[in-house]
Amino acid sequence: MLGFILKRVGLGLITLWILSLIVFFAAQVLPGDPARAILGPLAAPSAVAALSHQLGTDQPLATQYWHWISHFVTGDLGTSYQYQAPVGPLLVKALGHSLKLASVAFVIVVPLGIIGGVIAALSVGKPVDRIISVFGLSATVIPEVVSGIVLILIFGIALNVLPISATWPPGAGIGTQVYHLIMPAIPLVLILFGYIQQMARAGTVEALASDYARTATLKGLPRGVMIRRHVLRNSLLPTITVIATQTGYLIGGLVLVEVLFNYQGIGRLIYNAATAKDFPMLEAGVLVIGIVYMLATLIADIIYSLLNPRIRYRGVE
Amino acid sequence: MATDPRRLDAIRSDRSELENHYIDELVAGRLSRRQFMRRGAVIGMSTGLVGTILAACGSANSSSSASSSSGAASSSASGTPTKGGTLKLAIQAPAAAVNPLTVADSGGLCMLAQTGEFLAFDNNLALQLQPMLATSWTPSKAGAVWTFTLRPGVKFSDGTPMTADDVVYTFQQLADPKNASNALSTFTGVLDPAGVVKVDSGTVAFHLSAPNGNFPYLVSSDNYNAIIVPNGTNFADWQKTFIGTGPFKLSTYTQNVGASFVANPDYWGGAPNLDSTAFTFYASQQPQILALQGGTVDVVVQFVPTGAESLLNSSSYTIIKLKSANHRELSMRNDQAPFTDARVRQAIALSLDRPGMVSALLDGYGEVGNDSPFAPKFPSTNTSVPQRVQDLAKAKQLLAAAGHANGFSTTLTTEQYEEIPELAQVIAEAATKIGVKITLKVETQDNYYGKATYGNSDWLDATMSLVDYGDRGVPNVFLEAPLTSNGPWNAAHFKNPTYDNLVKQYVAAVDLQTQQTIAGKIQTLLLDETPIVIPYFINGLTATTPSVHGVNPTSISAIYLKDAYKSA
Repeated sequence: MLGFILKRVGLGLITLWILSLIVFFAAQVLPGDPARAILGPLAAPSAVAALSHQLGTDQPLATQYWHWISHFVTGDLGTSYQYQAPVGPLLVKALGHSLKLASVAFVIVVPLGIIGGVIAALSVGKPVDRIISVFGLSATVIPEVVSGIVLILIFGIALNVLPISATWPPGAGIGTQVYHLIMPAIPLVLILFGYIQQMARAGTVEALASDYARTATLKGLPRGVMIRRHVLRNSLLPTITVIATQTGYLIGGLVLVEVLFNYQGIGRLIYNAATAKDFPMLEAGVLVIGIVYMLATLIADIIYSLLNPRIRYRGVE
Repeated sequence: MATDPRRLDAIRSDRSELENHYIDELVAGRLSRRQFMRRGAVIGMSTGLVGTILAACGSANSSSSASSSSGAASSSASGTPTKGGTLKLAIQAPAAAVNPLTVADSGGLCMLAQTGEFLAFDNNLALQLQPMLATSWTPSKAGAVWTFTLRPGVKFSDGTPMTADDVVYTFQQLADPKNASNALSTFTGVLDPAGVVKVDSGTVAFHLSAPNGNFPYLVSSDNYNAIIVPNGTNFADWQKTFIGTGPFKLSTYTQNVGASFVANPDYWGGAPNLDSTAFTFYASQQPQILALQGGTVDVVVQFVPTGAESLLNSSSYTIIKLKSANHRELSMRNDQAPFTDARVRQAIALSLDRPGMVSALLDGYGEVGNDSPFAPKFPSTNTSVPQRVQDLAKAKQLLAAAGHANGFSTTLTTEQYEEIPELAQVIAEAATKIGVKITLKVETQDNYYGKATYGNSDWLDATMSLVDYGDRGVPNVFLEAPLTSNGPWNAAHFKNPTYDNLVKQYVAAVDLQTQQTIAGKIQTLLLDETPIVIPYFINGLTATTPSVHGVNPTSISAIYLKDAYKSA
């Protein structure tokens, strides 16, 4: 197991380095330059030149990249061009926000998705199955912004029961924070519910049709016990995969939700950094998401192997 | 007008030649009382003096709209202000560090104006230039040297007194071509660092590179980078302290999230009504409107009609409308066929239904343009020049005369910004009525502006180009950069020595009569040549809940809150 983890971490570091190169050079292809992004399109050319010199963006690309990565490996994330402030604290705060929102969404959607999947699987082909599955699949295609606005209009303005802004007041406790995150989490729940429900349903259907389920039934195990002991574990496995692969989306891909609910997550931070060509911020942000994504898939693999005896006993390939 | 000559003569004897000229114009009825107050303010006549002169000229309500000199006064306050409380406002998130030198975006300049103050304040609600950190100013006879008397007893928020040294430092930094200063687009060719001279601790003189009759606007809130900061300030670190002379002091500033300010009890104009203000930063307009409707904020500092129908069509909110020179400019390459022929350019301009555009694209929140930068809000605009109206028959006739009886095809390049793509669509549809086929190319702003220099920018290089210009207090920048032969933003590639000469005269003119006369010539020349089309000027819009009073927004999306309060 340890060897497996080390190998994964090593590969991960190489992937991250390649990612940093791609981000750096891809960002150069975008039009505009950081100084002009700060000073606006109508700034005097001399002002743009002066700021480019201050920022160091008038240096050759290779020099800029070396300057950045040689500091990065020592833990110095650099100074944001845009905000003229250290990248580290801005990024950590935004990442914290993103993780909180993702957690609230997960806590709501995972039990719902699994229960929905199991209920559908237990009545395959019946109206209950159809209703749950059609709802789940339809919900996955509703853009977050559309469901978000509908939610705001109903719960935020008409009924006035949930806060419109996801940003809680300074110093708010965990309860207040969650209260502010319920509404922004629902669009994510709607999108993810269909995936998780379908995976859980397929896993359950497969497990129900398996030899061991039949054996359990034949040896006289009550249906409830049979499902809890033998089927649920199998329906959980694909769910873990879905959750792990959606981490990138949930942490870094929520720009529109963050804009709508005015929440300062890492998605918005990276989006702003990309449009402003704020290179230190962009690099650090993308790498952080890369790291989170890798950690998530690594943890998912470990949990997967713990839940699935076939992988656990076979060990590392 | 019942004039009292004896009283007037007594006043006249102490006045400068220019001031006496204005008094002549007023007595002769060539200047209205309102115009007199506005022009008087520009050349530095005090409010009291203006009032005395108007009284001598029989004006019954001389002080009604001449605001007191207590800084950022407001016009919408009524009744007895409620003291205390926190006002919550929504603004566009500052796009970059709040650095007085580099700020270029609406969110950032709104932040500057919370603690920073200017020598003069361009009150957009009253359409009047008012004293702020300077109590008065006077031009030399030709308008090449302007001397500002500073307000005594003003302190920065760290307790140090403001003196001429601070003012000199501020403007030398802003005008230094070696600095990344956004004010350079205003000061280049007007003011260089050596021209800023301390006369004594309470007086600063600006020696200009060329005479400029509207110079006070360039050191007013209009030139939003020009807040006065303490001598020796490190501009990059300013956002940590927000040190200024204004009615509020920084409490907290969190990038991308928001900022809060507390009342400055030592403010020279008296402590503000509010205890504090809290700004929340937003990435787009829609969440701001939802936040106002849901009660999360009390004020949306700036918005555009598109997407704001729910506010504009509701009676539950107070909408503050400001006349502004904010406009869209359609340029046609004067050096590229088919637009080398002025008749073709005129034909395009004649195809447009301007009132229809204002009502369809702006929900009526705008004024029609007459293809010159002279917006209705500028006092110098010559209103005797006839307004261009839609005339399809004449447009077709002009095209035929230019050899395009069967029309032609061309491309219009523009940016993804506010209502501009829809405006491009409307222009293209109008052109089909005179047989011209316009293909649209709508780009992101980065792609469109490019490097913003000739040869590296679709904005400046495209055959037809449609761009946005924000508000200014005087039309000088609009007249120079996009239209003079050497202008850096001349997307029309318009080169006309007569025009260049007229603009030079206009900029140098100190008195309004001369300005209006030259403006008339410029307006006529631009209608004849039509290098650009300006279909409309867009109003600035601010929304508040009904309990908010006394806020003073500007059309460059700053807001002044000294007199603001929330009624119970």
